Amino acid sequence: MKTELIEIKKQFGTFQALKGINLTIEDGEFVAIVGPSGCGKTTLLRLLAGFETPSDGQILMQQEIVASKTNALPPEKRNIGLVFQSFALWPHMKVKEQVMFPLKHHRFVRPELKKNSEARVTEMLNIVGLSHLADRMPSELSGGQKQRVAIARALSASPSLLLMDEPLSSLDAKLRVELRNEIQLIHQKIKTSIVYVTHDQSEALAMADKIVVMKDGLIEQIGTPEEIYFYPQTEFVASFISKANLIEGSWNGDYFSPSTSPSTRWYYPNVADSFKQSGVCPVRPEQLQLSKDSDGLCGEVKNLLFQGREVSCIVNVNGKEIHFITGIHNSLKIGDHVTLNVTNL
Amino acid sequence: MTGNSFNDETLDRYKSLNTKKKSSEWFSLLFKNKNLYLSLLIILIVFVIPVIRLFLMSFQANDSFSFENYTNILSEKYTWTVIKNTCLIVVGSTVISLIVGVSLAWIMAYTNIRLKKLMQVFILLPFIIPSYIVTIAWTQFVGNIKAFDINLYSMGGIIFVLGISHYPLVYLFTVNVLKKIPRELEWAVRASGGGQLKAFWHVTVPLALPGIVGGGMIAFLSNLDNFGIPAFLGIPSNITILSTAIYQEVIGFGENAFSRAATFSVLLAVFALFATGIQWFLLRKSKVTETAAADNSPRFYLCKSRPFVEFSIWLFIVGVSIVPLLSMLKTSLLKVYGLSFTLENITLHNFNYLLYDYDKVATALLNSLKLAGLTTLICLIIGTLVAYFRIRKPSFLTKALEVSISIPYTLPGMVLALAMIFTWMQPIPGWNPGIYGSIWILLIAYVTRFMILQVRGSSSAFTQISVDLEEAAHISGASTWSKWRYILLPLILPSVLSGSILVLLTTLTELTISSLLWSSGSETIGVIIFNFEQAGYTTYSTAFSVITLLFMGILAALVYGIIYIWQRSVRAS
Repeated sequence: MKTELIEIKKQFGTFQALKGINLTIEDGEFVAIVGPSGCGKTTLLRLLAGFETPSDGQILMQQEIVASKTNALPPEKRNIGLVFQSFALWPHMKVKEQVMFPLKHHRFVRPELKKNSEARVTEMLNIVGLSHLADRMPSELSGGQKQRVAIARALSASPSLLLMDEPLSSLDAKLRVELRNEIQLIHQKIKTSIVYVTHDQSEALAMADKIVVMKDGLIEQIGTPEEIYFYPQTEFVASFISKANLIEGSWNGDYFSPSTSPSTRWYYPNVADSFKQSGVCPVRPEQLQLSKDSDGLCGEVKNLLFQGREVSCIVNVNGKEIHFITGIHNSLKIGDHVTLNVTNL
Repeated sequence: MTGNSFNDETLDRYKSLNTKKKSSEWFSLLFKNKNLYLSLLIILIVFVIPVIRLFLMSFQANDSFSFENYTNILSEKYTWTVIKNTCLIVVGSTVISLIVGVSLAWIMAYTNIRLKKLMQVFILLPFIIPSYIVTIAWTQFVGNIKAFDINLYSMGGIIFVLGISHYPLVYLFTVNVLKKIPRELEWAVRASGGGQLKAFWHVTVPLALPGIVGGGMIAFLSNLDNFGIPAFLGIPSNITILSTAIYQEVIGFGENAFSRAATFSVLLAVFALFATGIQWFLLRKSKVTETAAADNSPRFYLCKSRPFVEFSIWLFIVGVSIVPLLSMLKTSLLKVYGLSFTLENITLHNFNYLLYDYDKVATALLNSLKLAGLTTLICLIIGTLVAYFRIRKPSFLTKALEVSISIPYTLPGMVLALAMIFTWMQPIPGWNPGIYGSIWILLIAYVTRFMILQVRGSSSAFTQISVDLEEAAHISGASTWSKWRYILLPLILPSVLSGSILVLLTTLTELTISSLLWSSGSETIGVIIFNFEQAGYTTYSTAFSVITLLFMGILAALVYGIIYIWQRSVRAS
């Protein structure tokens, strides 16, 4: 199902949570909405779900208007599923009853699913790997199992759009990586459109077909993970998604000279015009390398964080912290003076 | 494409996909904004208007507005005696409740005494048993103590019986707060070099204060509100306090009786509101550690003194709660009041007579049961809906609603009873539908007064359910009706019903409001016992009290049985 948002605005009292959002979610697409807390991503999801009514603009699902300023279809009348951050499993129902509930109540359930609802429940529990726990109560499940049940429940009625609201953020790190993989496999299997809200940029990069970066109620950039990561359009996207250092200096065509060492010239192609205009170069930590000659960013090592595969290094350059990554065999020590240059990865 | 018309058209088309109109559509209509606000407004009027009418009535003398009632009443010596009595009795009994309640709470919360659960049941007993029955029991008990000549029909007697009737309130408030004080805070004092006593004074006492103050204020208001005890003990001995003064004004039918009663009521209401104000002021800054879980394991280990402490508590509990009831039972079995308790004087005649010969008793039992049942049902439905909106849609309106529903309960019962007369005798001036003088006024008054109990019970049920669970139901396609039926009701029912039990048992044995609003044919349990007691039929009043306690026990067992079966079937299905 194709979903379109046209000039969506949302006002809470005097606070404008969304300031005009235009977005299309194609059929079968996995869209991740990412941004810091308070950027409006959850509001956007709640508008798609139907828990909120837009203050302005329209939401179309399959070319039908489901929400506008004057009217909004309630959630139960939209063909959607939702996975909550808190799992939201009903404490008085067994696992199989949770998954059965949408099959009984959803008006968009296809007749053949409704007829074979028992089989559908088994199928869904198989997909999330929980068929052996069908008779458990939610209180008897671990966090990861709970979220798997919630996913099975959200998908059992075969919705055309699946909304996921930070589904992994209440799980521990190991489970997060595990479920990340599983959600993607499920998406490949069922091919329904997914809107996935998260504040974790690595989740968005790993899972999505398309990433929407939001800030202060506006979309900063839409693109594939590669586009967003390698070619950020704004400073915010560069620092939030690619964790880039924003180095001040001057541009000359595709060449950049940092203001702390004007004689240095880095070849940096394909950078967005906005960076050229503001005289900033977004350099990702892995793009910086120690160099022997004295030309480049000069500074003093402030801290070294051993990460196993690499060492994350913080260098103080004229009072500004520059992050870069270096191999574990480098014998850097805190207090060392170093010179950094961009390598063209 | 002209924006809105297109929208509406497609929306309609979208909606017409789902033409299956369910019988439950009305239910979701209730949740539409306009209807919601209208019903909220009506509720607001029902709960607030009586108080306003009462207030206006107190300024009415000889059918015109004046301060005459106030100037007259405040210049009478009688009034000042009444106010002095009220202050002495209320403050005295509150002090007793506080001392007993706080000490028991500390011992129960922190020490390693045994059989705490059983103790707690007995501690709460005086709270569940109607205070007038406690009074009757105590008068019989004191009469049996031959060694001392104790006269309960005195100031001291009233203070004592009030105090032991309301200490469970202080106990309940304090014990919960005490258990929630994290023991690490006390350990932190010890680790910083302070002793046990320092920890007690610098951590336990300040942190428990909200509970102690809250419990003390509730006890204060309950003592102020109580009618049964001062009526049973004070009227025969000519000790009048504000609540009995209002009662006597109204049944005395003197000149300007209603206006004078209204004026006394305003005085009494001012006392109550003053206390509520102080409570609010003292508690406004305290943030009770709501989220902290109660810690039930002991913090102080009594060694040698444990049997002694346990024995003292049991002695106190049994002496205060059980023995008086046994004395009452003893009296109820006597052929004639005053005979000694020997085999030839024992008879079941009193019970026989009440249950089979004196038809007012059966009527009263039935009346009280009907009233309590209907009140509980109405409060259950409306109170739960109000609680839902209060918790889920917090706004100025819903907050105002909760406050206005709590007013009739905060006000002393006698004040509310009078307000009810003024409001429902002629709901619209000039039109008397005959509500006053029938059983319906009692129903309306009970609902008005006890609604807040259900609202509070249901509110706590809703706060325990995350909004996500409701949203998950909607996302899964459930209509408002299905959501309530399959998700909300199963989850809230146990705690909602425990609120209902409170409403049921309180209305079943209500006396204060009933004593003013009953009419021939609409007697309630409380009224019949009150009338027996006033007429001096002690064997009947004790026997009927015994019957009432059995009746309450059976009802509570029934409701708890239903909850138990429901919970089991929810789990099984």
